[in-house]
Amino acid sequence: MLQVVLTGLSVGAVYGLVGMGFAVAFYVTRVLNFATGQLLMVAIMLTAALSAAHWPIALAMGVGLAASTLGGVLIYLLAVRPVLRFDRLSFAWLVSTLGVAIILESVAALIWGTSSLSFPQLLNGNDVNILGGALTWQQIATVLVALGAVVAFEAVRRITLFGKLGTAISADPEMSSAIGANVTLHAAIAFALGGLLAGIGGVLVGPISFANPYLGETYGIYGFIALMIGGTERPAASMGGGLILGILATLANTYINPQASDWFPFVVVLAVLLLTPKGIFASGDAIRDRLIGLARRQPLTTSKATPS
Amino acid sequence: MTAARQSVHARSALWFTNPKARRATWACALAAYLGGASAIAHSSNYEQSLLLVAAVYSVLALSLDLVAGATGLYSLGHAGLFAIGAYTTTILNTHYGWNVFLALPVVVAAVGIVGVVIGALSLRVSGLYFAITTLIFTIIVNVLVSDLSITGGYQGLPGPTFPNFPHALSPLGSALVWAVAGAVLLTITVTWSIRSSALYPALLAIRDSEPFASSVGVRTAATKVAIFSLSAALAGLAGWTFSFLGFITPGQFDTTAAVNILVMVILGGMNTRTGPIFGAVFIGLFPTVVTINPLWQEILFGSIFLIVIVFFPGGFVGLLARAGREIRAKATHTGEAQASVAPGTRPSHSNGSAPDEPREVTAPFRPSVGIDLRATLGSSTAAAREREAVSEIALEVHGVSFSYVKGTKVLDGVDFVVRRGTVHGLIGPNGSGKSTLVNLISGELPCQEGAIRVNGRRIDHLPAWQRPAVGLMRTFQTAGMVSELTLRDNVGLGLFSHLPRIGPRSLAWPLLPSARRDDEKVANIATAALGRVGLEEPWPGSRALDVPHGVEQLAQLAAACVGAPRILVLDEPLAGLSRQEVDQVAAILRDLKAQGVSTIVVEHQARFIFEVCDEVTVLAAGELVKAGSAAEVRSDERVRQVYLGL
Repeated sequence: MLQVVLTGLSVGAVYGLVGMGFAVAFYVTRVLNFATGQLLMVAIMLTAALSAAHWPIALAMGVGLAASTLGGVLIYLLAVRPVLRFDRLSFAWLVSTLGVAIILESVAALIWGTSSLSFPQLLNGNDVNILGGALTWQQIATVLVALGAVVAFEAVRRITLFGKLGTAISADPEMSSAIGANVTLHAAIAFALGGLLAGIGGVLVGPISFANPYLGETYGIYGFIALMIGGTERPAASMGGGLILGILATLANTYINPQASDWFPFVVVLAVLLLTPKGIFASGDAIRDRLIGLARRQPLTTSKATPS
Repeated sequence: MTAARQSVHARSALWFTNPKARRATWACALAAYLGGASAIAHSSNYEQSLLLVAAVYSVLALSLDLVAGATGLYSLGHAGLFAIGAYTTTILNTHYGWNVFLALPVVVAAVGIVGVVIGALSLRVSGLYFAITTLIFTIIVNVLVSDLSITGGYQGLPGPTFPNFPHALSPLGSALVWAVAGAVLLTITVTWSIRSSALYPALLAIRDSEPFASSVGVRTAATKVAIFSLSAALAGLAGWTFSFLGFITPGQFDTTAAVNILVMVILGGMNTRTGPIFGAVFIGLFPTVVTINPLWQEILFGSIFLIVIVFFPGGFVGLLARAGREIRAKATHTGEAQASVAPGTRPSHSNGSAPDEPREVTAPFRPSVGIDLRATLGSSTAAAREREAVSEIALEVHGVSFSYVKGTKVLDGVDFVVRRGTVHGLIGPNGSGKSTLVNLISGELPCQEGAIRVNGRRIDHLPAWQRPAVGLMRTFQTAGMVSELTLRDNVGLGLFSHLPRIGPRSLAWPLLPSARRDDEKVANIATAALGRVGLEEPWPGSRALDVPHGVEQLAQLAAACVGAPRILVLDEPLAGLSRQEVDQVAAILRDLKAQGVSTIVVEHQARFIFEVCDEVTVLAAGELVKAGSAAEVRSDERVRQVYLGL
């Protein structure tokens, strides 16, 4: 059981990174970049192809991550910004980002073929014992990097002016631009971060998944589910959603049947959406507000009727 | 969306005014359609298989546009509904030996019922979340049909064979082609009828401004569920026909398929009559006609998504409409402007009778008054009013409390009484609970504590859409009209609750003489009502999108008055109005008063309030400060302190 949870965490950390990739871009622009999974694939494929061409692993990974980051920016500029200018609340971006996803996937398949390439092993495959369970160094690194990404992101969002402006833009872009925020720059950076987070997820999972053009679709869907479980209102919550999803999927495979992770996550997310349409973590807020509301009741009745 | 907006008035084409020409046009179109179907029924198998897929997709795309384009429910669940239709037909036929025609009503009804469930979801989750929830529905259906053995797993099932015509009818060609042609014709009839019916503006109002919709008596929740169920049933019909086209496999109903259906609608032109058909034909034919390396084909496909959405967001029909406008603009330049109609203006339907004599047409209509009560108060309405005038109190709010967050009372035990035939001002500082009170009266918010009575009858348990029926109409602080409709159509929505059986009639609207009569009456009454608030031509024919804020506010007032309310609630009717328009509103309020309408005005302009109102109620911090005649309230010391700052 503990083993299952540990494995689930390491699997879920990658889903969480992709989910955060979705969430960061969505947070600022209210657009779901449906090519996020394909950006993960771009990072994996480039890293695998370059290291196969005897580049140093670190350099190959750097190029892969840079490509997914740049990819995010390009998607924003070419596929998202033009349709937002047209109508901010329409779903036109759903079509345009999916168009990009199809193109990226097919181009990768054209260049590298449809069969899997090998991916360089970064860390050795030795097991480490943790409280009776065992994880490889690779899996431990995945979890640590994912948690590091959450902490770094939250620090930037809450502490720096840049991060606060992002919050302001997500609430009201016109108003934010009136107070001097560069909405386009912020949005482009959000898409870049989305690409980077997905790319990080890619190079972390590469040694297990190998490099295949169709990985983007799989991880895109799981990342998206992580986003929906966590809720779209807070990017960091997607990591929570990813970890929950990873554990549930591993549990389902272990205890229901080996194919259960095909359908189990969807049932979970459907249940989550029906019970709490804004995600598990957002409804935590609602519960907290209700508790605070109860606490407030007492003083209010005493200090009643102060005309303001 | 410009395409969509243009097409809203497709029914305004000039031939509409001549019933003979209209009938002849439809007869020709039907003949051409049947001729085309016949030609396809005799064509080669290859051509048939190609066109039949496109035709089935057309049914699917039209059904999706009904919910996505018109009602704003972006469903990605139609692939799942399509799958249920196709698999159920196949299994009923091959496993249980059902006749395919016996299976048809069962399949359509079953998918329609599933549609009720999904439609009900839209009441809980909206917008993007609805799209996502329905996408997950598609995924679950897809996973189920991939894993179950009765559905043949990943290999799928061979679909049933469609029975041939009996020998006598065999000259007609392929029976399957005729069946598909029938399905397409049925779908076109239903969706186009709805688009031309009085239900259509109501759907757009649900999409753009739900509070406005329910304030005019549209049963928004039930309408959404019903329209989604209808759309689902059509998707089920598409599934039924699709099952005869060969093998059905889970891959045909996956998430890509779900998005593809939406892409068909967008490519062709969302919220248009023909757009979904063009899009469906394109997507249906593309993989077969463009035979290159499948990967290149995918790349081309993705690029088309991108290029169309970025450069031609109105889709194919939008492009055509734009070209049409440019040609027309050129024609106008060359001096033939006199004969042409102003853009967006809908010619009167009144068959020759001048549109500026609305009263004659107005008279037979049940509420019969429009805003012009003084001129033609129908006797029945007068009698009704006399009968009801038992109590002097038009509206009574007793002990009402309300909290948005538990523990923080926005309204605390408020009493509020409006006497019949008076103008009642409701004032107070920002945050005093005025708008909350108004929303409780109109049913926007549920009443938590206390009672609200109209003519002594409790109405606080009634949902918002039932309140126009007790004579209660309202306007909104920020005008929420449907931007792509003309002011006339928007104001016409105010009569929604007076038109009988709109739902069932909308399925065959253009064919019903009664519906055409209603259309005319609504248009004429709405034009007259707009005239009464000072909006003469060309305003009635202008789209709400194109008019200044003040005009929209006045039009909103007309929309609330057009249904002859007994109690009118105006939430900040003066916001954004010019001095002249303010005087106009004051005059209208006096008029309404003379007709015995009780009006509640929430307003910040103290001068206006004390000039126009008979009585005034002052709220502060959710509590009643003072209620009484305007003069009394004005001289009250506490009111001066709390609010007037005098």
